[in-house]
Amino acid sequence: MIKKIKISKSEKIMLCFLILLGIFTLSSLIILKNKCLFVKNYNPDDIEFIYPENIVILNANCGNVIIELYPNISPRAVQRFKKLIELGAYDNAAFHRVIEGKLIQGGDLEFGKKENLDYGKVGSGKSGFGKIKSELNGKFKYDKGSVGLARTFELNTEDSQFFIILQDEPLFEGEYTPVGKVIYGLRVLETIKFVPKFHTVPRPDFINSFRLLK
Amino acid sequence: MILFRAILLFIVLISPLEANTIYNLIKIPNLEIYNIDTKNQLRYLYATKPFMLGANHKKNINCYNSDKKTLEEKYKIVKKNLDRYSLKFLKKINLKYIVLCEDLSIAEISTAGIPNNTTRTLILNIKFNENHFERAIHHELFHIVNDNYKELFDENIWKNFNKKNFKYSKCSTCNNNWNLELINNTSGFFTEYAKSTASEDMAEIFSHLFFYKDKIYRKDSIIEQKIQFIKSNIFKIDDTFNFDK
Repeated sequence: MIKKIKISKSEKIMLCFLILLGIFTLSSLIILKNKCLFVKNYNPDDIEFIYPENIVILNANCGNVIIELYPNISPRAVQRFKKLIELGAYDNAAFHRVIEGKLIQGGDLEFGKKENLDYGKVGSGKSGFGKIKSELNGKFKYDKGSVGLARTFELNTEDSQFFIILQDEPLFEGEYTPVGKVIYGLRVLETIKFVPKFHTVPRPDFINSFRLLK
Repeated sequence: MILFRAILLFIVLISPLEANTIYNLIKIPNLEIYNIDTKNQLRYLYATKPFMLGANHKKNINCYNSDKKTLEEKYKIVKKNLDRYSLKFLKKINLKYIVLCEDLSIAEISTAGIPNNTTRTLILNIKFNENHFERAIHHELFHIVNDNYKELFDENIWKNFNKKNFKYSKCSTCNNNWNLELINNTSGFFTEYAKSTASEDMAEIFSHLFFYKDKIYRKDSIIEQKIQFIKSNIFKIDDTFNFDK
């Protein structure tokens, strides 16, 4: 005859704890894996802009980044930036240089596109429209969310690459040509893939699309 | 070729990032901002740790961090002197960053400063000879001017100001006499150091224009010509430049 053993109270508690732990682990894994879960995706159609002609929308994995451009500060740079956006040139371009909490850079149209990403050369590519002159005399504060055109070590070498800073960078003032500022969606940029302590990103995130509002 | 690129990629990927804004801008490590809120927009940086500079493995420029008190004292002196230069002039000569550190040396030879035209930077040794420290600031700044306007400060014209039998040394450190004291019998040179090279001579004349106006040189026709040469060319760069500020 088999004797039925009753589950003790402590065993019941232990079982409940294990079940709860399993549920918690599973849900955490799902939540943690989805880096976009708590990132708000702004819809530009729901927002009223004072200068809609200067609004551009960059779409990345976690949503829209809405940027206001300042043609009065950097007319040449903004003109180039708008031209490339209009052409759809930035679509599928990699965020090839990402420094955690500091800066993201992308827009290499020659070596940084999804279809022909060249890890050895990315960051040195050209747009085909030539270099433009640095515009450094306008009053512009490089605070968090500022967008500027990247250049080589020399001035007047701006082309298509741009960066967005994720922290205030007063030393950038008078160094890099500003083009605008992120007005909505900075959190989207903070989810862009980076490798701690490195600035080159293997298998980087890409710009899904980059469009003018109007 | 594929192997070479793979190696290159590997090196790029394993190179630790020096994610420092200052380093990215002027390629000098271990610096922090001292003051960037200045009227002429010069940006003062200071060494927080010793640093070494130079191409590849031959890092022959050394400089060390200072204690807070020295830094405070010397910063005031440096700023007072560099405030003489307007934003307009500094933009024209392409100078933006001033690095303050001590015991600056190049190839183990102590120096007052090292100008770098490309990075728009002037490294200043704030522990340089106390008697000549202020003048040395202007001396070093002149090298930036000279590097930017080689065509104006033509050494062949300059050499003709000197007596016919005079020859400069082959380099500024080739001569053992680096005396920076004002010499009594000037005979065309303010200091012994001015006899080292034409560019050092120009820098000595330029720096003395801020400190020894109308003293000895009125009696020295060579120095008089050199002063006119420096002044006229400085005014070509910026006609509002004022030596008397």
